[in-house]
Parts: sequence; structure tokens; C-alpha cells
Amino acid sequence: MLKTGNPTRREFLAACSAGLLAGRGFGAPRDFQAPALREFQRGGMVYRRLGQTDIDVSLLSFGSHTDPADRLPAAQGKTVLTPTGQARRDRIIAHAFDLGVNLLDVYASEGQWEPAARLVRGRRDKILISLAHEITPKDIDLAVKLFDYVDLYRFAAYGIDQPVLEKWDLLRKAKEAGKIRAIGVSVHTESLMTMALDELEGLDYVILPYNFIQARAGYSQFLPQAMRKGVGLIAMKPLASGSIMKLDPRARAGAKPESENFELLGQRAGKLVLPAAVADLTASLSRMPDETLCMAAMRFVYSRPFLSAALTGMFEGQLLDDNYKALTRYWEMRPEEQSALGAAKRLANLRGASWLRPEYRWLEEEWHG
Amino acid sequence: MARLMTGIVLFLFALTGAAQTVEDQQFKEAGVCARCHVISVVEWGMSRHSKAGINCVACHGESKGHVKDERNNIKPQHIPRGAAIAGLCADCHKNGCPKTQQKASCQDCHHSHALVDPKKPAVAKDPHFEEISARWERFSSLVRQGEVEVKAEKWQAAYAAFQQALKEKPGDRYATERMRMCQRRMNPSLPGFEIVGKEFDPQTGLPRQVRVARWGIPMVLVPGGEFEMGSERFTGAKPVHTVRVGPFYLGEYELTQAEWKSLMGSNPSEHQGAKYPESDRMPVEQVSWEDCQSLLRKLNEGVPGGGFRLPTEAEWEYAARAGGGTEEGAQWSEPRPVGKGQPNTLGLFDMRGNVWEWSSSLYRPYPYVASDGREEADAPGLRVLRGGGYVEWAAWIDPGARHSERPNRRLGSNGMRLARSVPGEP
Repeated sequence: MLKTGNPTRREFLAACSAGLLAGRGFGAPRDFQAPALREFQRGGMVYRRLGQTDIDVSLLSFGSHTDPADRLPAAQGKTVLTPTGQARRDRIIAHAFDLGVNLLDVYASEGQWEPAARLVRGRRDKILISLAHEITPKDIDLAVKLFDYVDLYRFAAYGIDQPVLEKWDLLRKAKEAGKIRAIGVSVHTESLMTMALDELEGLDYVILPYNFIQARAGYSQFLPQAMRKGVGLIAMKPLASGSIMKLDPRARAGAKPESENFELLGQRAGKLVLPAAVADLTASLSRMPDETLCMAAMRFVYSRPFLSAALTGMFEGQLLDDNYKALTRYWEMRPEEQSALGAAKRLANLRGASWLRPEYRWLEEEWHG
Repeated sequence: MARLMTGIVLFLFALTGAAQTVEDQQFKEAGVCARCHVISVVEWGMSRHSKAGINCVACHGESKGHVKDERNNIKPQHIPRGAAIAGLCADCHKNGCPKTQQKASCQDCHHSHALVDPKKPAVAKDPHFEEISARWERFSSLVRQGEVEVKAEKWQAAYAAFQQALKEKPGDRYATERMRMCQRRMNPSLPGFEIVGKEFDPQTGLPRQVRVARWGIPMVLVPGGEFEMGSERFTGAKPVHTVRVGPFYLGEYELTQAEWKSLMGSNPSEHQGAKYPESDRMPVEQVSWEDCQSLLRKLNEGVPGGGFRLPTEAEWEYAARAGGGTEEGAQWSEPRPVGKGQPNTLGLFDMRGNVWEWSSSLYRPYPYVASDGREEADAPGLRVLRGGGYVEWAAWIDPGARHSERPNRRLGSNGMRLARSVPGEP
């Protein structure tokens, strides 16, 4: 899928639209070449235009999920953060803003609208707010009351049926009334993505799961169509909800490395043999001492020129710093990075769906599908 | 030689510059007034008033509202006329006119902004001008006579008078329209309509209220006219521009579920059944543009004269704006039975809120030009919806707001209102 050596810009662009499906025998249409998005750099941050909107988003954007360890149950099945958890999250977000992150994705269901509104007050002209899920006139009005206006508003689509079309109609009206700047959907399957392109009038952007392991699922139909239509693309789950961190044999404390699971399996079977992929991965990573597997994974996503942003949840300042550092020279992936990603992918394949966190294992099927 | 040429050029520049400077100075002194009232300012500049320091404000007041209002809806503070002008003159010319000592009717000799020499001989009369004036006089007199007959409801005589007037001034729109009005009053019946009441529109001569024959759907006359279409509040409704629409009939209410059912045999609406005892009077919803076309085809087959259709978005907006009204039918949990609120001044109910109403128009950028293909029934593309729905924001209850949807989509708050051009007329 990824070329070794230093590909030229043209080769890279072609690979971006076509290469992702190579593993499954698909290729992008020959007459199609991914158009590069408008892009500029301020300090260490890279900004890209979101489709045909007038919005420039930071390539590293701040995801909505809060740290499960800090969550407390709240009314109506929602959650809030503990005071210390909230303070830590606020601190990390403020640091992200300092680094040039300008897109903050916020879930109402995790009690984050009000804290986010507090954080962005006074700098609405610099920070973009992305909201999701709650779509009624009252919710939209509440969001507008909190944030003045909403830059990106979407809902998670699990099918395109009458209620979804009604919701979409409401979003279009809110956009026309000046309450929202861009409207989109987050979708997990390619068939649904393609359907969203066809059925949702005025679709500005799609948020899709995208990481170097998931990339095997391709999107050969969806990506060229989306790019032709000028629909903005934002990658979610660039680190597969933290599961990619687990694949790293040098994973930090708290994220038990996947290789340990193999060791346990091996011990149970009476022999301690690690899969070759673990050895490969360890060897590859040792050749890039200043970079983690997560950083390489982020660089893989950054290097796709058709993606406007990588939206990732960051519960620790260290992860934010790593993701930010990974932006440096994001364009060219080094051979050792590519071999590390290859080894990590083989390792994930050996584990089947269990390389993902239990609550996201259903994604594995979707991604294959 | 070169020096001489340069000198001549510089001299000419200086001359032009000087002339320019005087004129510029006058315009500068006239200030903001000079932006629109160019001729008046030039006249004023030629008069001695400019030298005496009597400027626009002296006679017309500061007129701040007028200055701000580009559409000229707000007039200047003072527009002195008749004796009031002489009063202003008397502020300086206390002994009356310096030449004639006359103290009133200054404008017998002088123009409002400039001095005109009273001794200057009148322009010799042009025979062609004389002929035109005479014809204009005859035309005016015949039109006046026609209007007298109209007042007496003598339609035949009025028709004859306007016909004569039209001979004096062929192609005159007013006389033509009055003739058509008289014709309509002489023969008020309209194919496919039953006239309700005895009220007729004085301009068009058409009955104000009618009912669709056989189906009994009430419709109201919307007399045509010119209006400012669009709204600065919505990006899709800019720019505001002038559009003219002819007279047409528009449903008094949004088409009800009962009416839809009686025409189509089924009811697609979400809000029906035992939970909604008044559902028969509630507007039909969840209908697509294509569904509306099917209904219209059926209606046109069954009613003499046919011609039933959806209103164009220009017609819809004209009816909504011409009728005024302040209803706000938004953020309700469900649509309400039609005709519950107050009608607008044209007698139309629920023009603001309740359900969105399909129009015949394709959703294309403004300005609205009916002949640019946006009214083609077979053209692909989104169709315009107007009027705002029960579920959304009050901001959408704006006559200028436009929304669009695919013609095959059946969404919850989308209904329709019947329209028809004046039957039997092109």
C-alpha cells in the first residue's frame, strides 16, 4: 500500500486515492486524481480547508470523547466529568489551543457543552466548535446561546431513513438561518457514506473512521465521489480509540501492550513464542527512537492530502504533545515508519477483532465490510 | 517647441482644473445631497443662493432619515410648496422680489432651485407638441369619463370610454387594464369557479372569493403588482430585487387532509387518526412535490378550464407580503387545523407557519426570472418551499425565507396550497 523510499508528490497523491484498497484488490478509477486541499501553516500547526466551505481546520483537532476514568453518571443517561477530570481536560484543551489546534469537537452527552463554551468564550473568532448528536430546534438554539453560532454540526448516521432525512432537513434550515456554518454526518461504513453523499442535500463534510489498520477497508467508491463533490473529510479514530497505543510494545503505563497478551497466550500454551510481527515491530520501532507507534500512526493520517483534519480524543498532555510533534515533516513517511506500521498491522490482524477495545469491536466487522 | 507644447498642455490642464474646481466646490458644499439630487445641486450652484450661503438644509431641514434611506421611503423634513416657498423667500427678501416687489407666488417666475429670468421670451410653441398635448388632453378626459362610468357601475359605457381612450394613446397599459376590468365585470363568471359573495376587486374586476367547482376548495384573489422580492436575513434569499406578478387565485387555506383524501383517495399525513380528531381540517403533510403534481393533474382533469397549479415562489411571496400579518406558527409540537389564526389582509390563512408549502419553482439563485427555466415542470433539481413550518424557528416565519427539497421527498412538515391563474385568460 505504501511505497518505500521517498515518493514524489504525484505518486503520493495517486497512492492516496488508490493505494488504500490495494490490500483488498481495489483501485481508484484511473481518470481520477485526488485534488489537494488548500493548506497553510502557522507555527507548527497545519491548517486545511474543509471541502468547499470557507472553514480552515487544524490538521490535528481535538476529539469529543472524555476519559472514561473521570466520568460520572448524570441524568438522562448522560455523563459528566469529576471536577479534577474536568480541570485536567480543560487544561489539555487550553494547551491544544496554544499549539494551534482550532477545532474542538464537543459531545452534549458527556456534559461538555457548557465547559467548552466557557473555554472558548472570548476567542470564538479563532476556535471552531463542532457539535454532534442532539438535533432538535431547542438543542440547536441552546448551542447557539452557548457558542453564538456553531461551526460544524453533525449527527451519527447509522442508516438513511425518514427520521434521518427529517433531521438533515432541520440542519439545512439551521444553516440557512445562519446558526450553523457547515453540516455533516459521521458514518462508519462505506455503503452508508456513499448513500449520504447521494441523499443528503448540501452535505458539507463527512467524519469517517480512518487509521493505518482500518485503511485496508478502502473507501474506493466513496473517496473519489466525495472529493469530486467537494465534500470535506475528517478522520476520526486515527488511533482506533487508543487501541493502536496498545500495539506498541513500548506502550506507556496504563496501556498494556498487545505483545503481553501474546506472551500470556504463549504461557498458557506451554511455550513462550512471540509472533514474528512483534519482533518486527520492536525492531522497526528501535530504528526510530524519537517516535512512538502512535506518532507514526498519526503521521499516516496527516499524510493523506484529502483529509482536512484528524479528530482524536486526547486524555493526556503527553499524547497531545506527541500528536503535535508528529505534524513535523508530516508529508514524507520514512521507510522505518512504514515498516513499523506494516508490522503493527500484521500484529493486529493476528489478534482479530480483539486488538480493539471491547466497545469498538463491532467496528472491525464494519471496517472489513 | 517642446517647452511651448508643454506650456499649452499645462495651461489647458489649469483651465479644466479651475472649472472642475468650481463645480467640485459646489458639490462639496451640497454635501450628501449631491449624491442623488445632481440636477438640483447644479441649479442651486448656478443661483445666487449658493453664494449667499443658503444651502439644502436651509430649506429642507437636516433630513437625517431621508439621507440614510436609500429607497427614498423617508422624505426630507420639509418640502416647501406653494405659499410656503414664498414664506422662505421672505426670510431674506423682506421687501418682496427685488425687481417686481411681488411677495407671493415666487415660482411664477423662478424655478425652485435656480433663478429664471422672467424677461426671457417663452419658447415658441411646436405644432407637434401642440398635437401631442391635445391628444393627451382627450385621453385624460376619456379616462376620467370612463372612471365616472365605473363608479356608476355602467360597465358597457365605461368600456367604450376606455376603448376610445386607447385609440388616443395606443398601447396604454392603464386603459387596457381598465377595459379588461370592464369586460370581467360584464361577464363575471369564471370556468371551474363558483363565485362566493359579491365582492369584486376594483382594479382587476375579478371576484375576490371563489370556490373550486365540485370540490369546494375556497380560493382568494391575489391582485397582481410589483414588490421587493427576497430578504437580507437569509443567504439564499439575497439580493432583494423588484418582481412583478399578475393577478392569480390562491388557496384561502393550506390544502387540508380531507381535501387531499377526497381527491387522491388516501391520506399521507403523519398527524391523523384518533389522536387528532380535527385532522380533516389539518393541513396535509408528508407530501412530495411530485405527489402535488399528481393531485393537480387529477384536479385539472375534473374541473372545467383546468389550470390549477402550485404558486410560483414569486407569487407566494407577493401574496405573503401584500397581505401582511404577524402570525407566528413555529415551534409547535404539531400542525394545527387550518384557519385557526387570523387571516392576512388578502384573506389568506396560515401564510406564516403551520406547514411548509411547495412552490412550482426550481431552487435557483436570485434574481427571480420566471422565464429562465426555473418554472419548467420537467426540469430536474430542488423545488422551493415557502412559509415556514410548525417545528422550526420563528426566524423562518418570514415571507422572504426560502427552503428547498428534492421533488420526490416526503418530509413531515411539507404541504401545499393551491394556485390558479385567472381562468380563461393567457
